[in-house]
Amino acid sequence: MVRQIAFGYGQSAIIGLAAVGALLGLWEVLADWYDVPTWLFPKPSDFLGRLGADWLMIAGHAMATSITILQGFALGVLVSVPLAYAIVSIPALERGLYPVIVFLNIMPKTVIGPILIIWFGIGPLISALIVFLMCFFPILVDAMHGFKHVDPRLFYISRSMGATNWQGFWKFRLPAAMPAIFSGMKIGIVKAVEGVIIAEFIASDAGLGFMIMQASAFMDVSLMFAGLIAAALVALVFNSAMSIFEKVLMPWSGRGH
Amino acid sequence: MDKGNSAAMSSSSPVRAMVGASIVASGITKVYGHGTNAALHALGPMGLNVKPGEFVSLIGPSGCGKSTTLLLVSGLESVTEGKIEFDGQILRKPISDVGIVFQDHLLLDFRTALKNVMLQQEIRGLDAAELRARADMLFDRLGIAGSEGRYPRQLSGGMRQRVSIARALVHDPSMLLMDEPFGALDAITRTQSRHDLEMLWMETQKTVLFITHSIEEAVGLSDRVLVMSKSPGMIVEEIKIDLPRPRPAHLGEYPEFAQYAERIYQIFAKLGVYKF
Ligand SMILES: Nc1ncnc2c1ncn2[C@@H]1O[C@H](COP(=O)(O)OP(=O)(O)OP(=O)(O)O)[C@@H](O)[C@H]1O
Ligand SMILES: [Mg+2]
Repeated sequence: MVRQIAFGYGQSAIIGLAAVGALLGLWEVLADWYDVPTWLFPKPSDFLGRLGADWLMIAGHAMATSITILQGFALGVLVSVPLAYAIVSIPALERGLYPVIVFLNIMPKTVIGPILIIWFGIGPLISALIVFLMCFFPILVDAMHGFKHVDPRLFYISRSMGATNWQGFWKFRLPAAMPAIFSGMKIGIVKAVEGVIIAEFIASDAGLGFMIMQASAFMDVSLMFAGLIAAALVALVFNSAMSIFEKVLMPWSGRGH
Repeated sequence: MDKGNSAAMSSSSPVRAMVGASIVASGITKVYGHGTNAALHALGPMGLNVKPGEFVSLIGPSGCGKSTTLLLVSGLESVTEGKIEFDGQILRKPISDVGIVFQDHLLLDFRTALKNVMLQQEIRGLDAAELRARADMLFDRLGIAGSEGRYPRQLSGGMRQRVSIARALVHDPSMLLMDEPFGALDAITRTQSRHDLEMLWMETQKTVLFITHSIEEAVGLSDRVLVMSKSPGMIVEEIKIDLPRPRPAHLGEYPEFAQYAERIYQIFAKLGVYKF
């Protein structure tokens, strides 16, 4: 099963890599042809070279970014899923708390960054908090939908078995809501990898966003491009990990054999 | 024995009662959405009496309240009026010493066939090895051995239904409530499943309340057939089926069977269920 998935990903990855390679090649040739200055618009050979030459530093920042994503995202899941269950189970929360959350979510989260800096100072933890704010809401909404739309007749089964509330949650409701929770987590991880770079621009002293900001201050455009590539790779890893995770954790949700 | 208490049940499971439970219902009605604009009088007033170990079928036109009756008897829905006694106790909450086969199989699609069946063991805290052996036996007897590891989506409709029958039987309950369990099966599987159920029932002392659309099934399986009228349904006729067991596959060839079937047709015709 896992090998099948890996094969599917392998295949599309090869096609994707070929396309990217062709594009970079074209870019290199054109930049050479028209003699574009490197400090303004680097050639692929320049920034791929930087990726090689400074890989230890870049990898360190990529790791910091990944950890920030993981922290923010994990916090997002740990808060939204139980909260979704509480909101769905307690009508008063749905009427009272949920509109407040919806309103808070409308506020631009990057504006909260500077406020958090004043309160807590600069550091990766603040970026993690911003990432959390970014991915929290989509997970909450989909998890609520999942818990709400569990086939009510499943309660017939759980109740006729004499299941406790605890068992009802762990054996019936949570797994039944899992596909919806996962679709929220997939949106959440996209938001997280998008948001983390911006969060690091404004509120961190480590990570790819911070590195790009610094490079910008020094007019080091090829490092900025290298950072962009590294950020794309980090995003790719997280998105693929999510899909693989889904297939492994929920083998039932795929099509039948 | 406290039937609602799973801990008590598991500790005393080897010495469980060998006789099925009884149901006595009197004057029950069900109004869905009672007191609202959308109130719908679905059933009754109706009486129902099933003796311990008896096999009773409910037959009636679509929408007359058969599934509703089953939900009331299981305690999963509450009666609007009237009362139901399960083994002499007035029903106030869902009974757990029961196996239910719902009209839709209602399997959990995130569990394999075997894990769906073993859910009974997990929730009730029963002995895993013992229940696993019973599950294996039931998969075998119901002709679904080999599909233990497959998810409901990977099974045919008929196989899903048989998995849900195994789930209803694996914990050896004293009563079985079955809502058109063979409705979705092809004719061949249906006849076989009917026979399998009859054999399983004959070996035990379970009480069975069996809902069906099929006159052949009702006569082929039951000690008594209760015929229901159109919505809101009530029982209009009771027919005792005095045929030896196990009953043969092609019932149609037996004159006694044809007589019973004819009687039910006549009742349906009189009720206006059939218009020819
Ligand atoms: N949860 C519900 N809410 C409102 N009305 C319901 C509900 N369940 C059933 N009904 C209505 O109650 C009536 C009886 O339904 P029920 O499912 O008991 O019929 P049935 O005899 O089992 O029919 P069938 O043979 O088609 O399965 C129908 O008119 C149905 O629309
Ligand atoms: Mg029905």
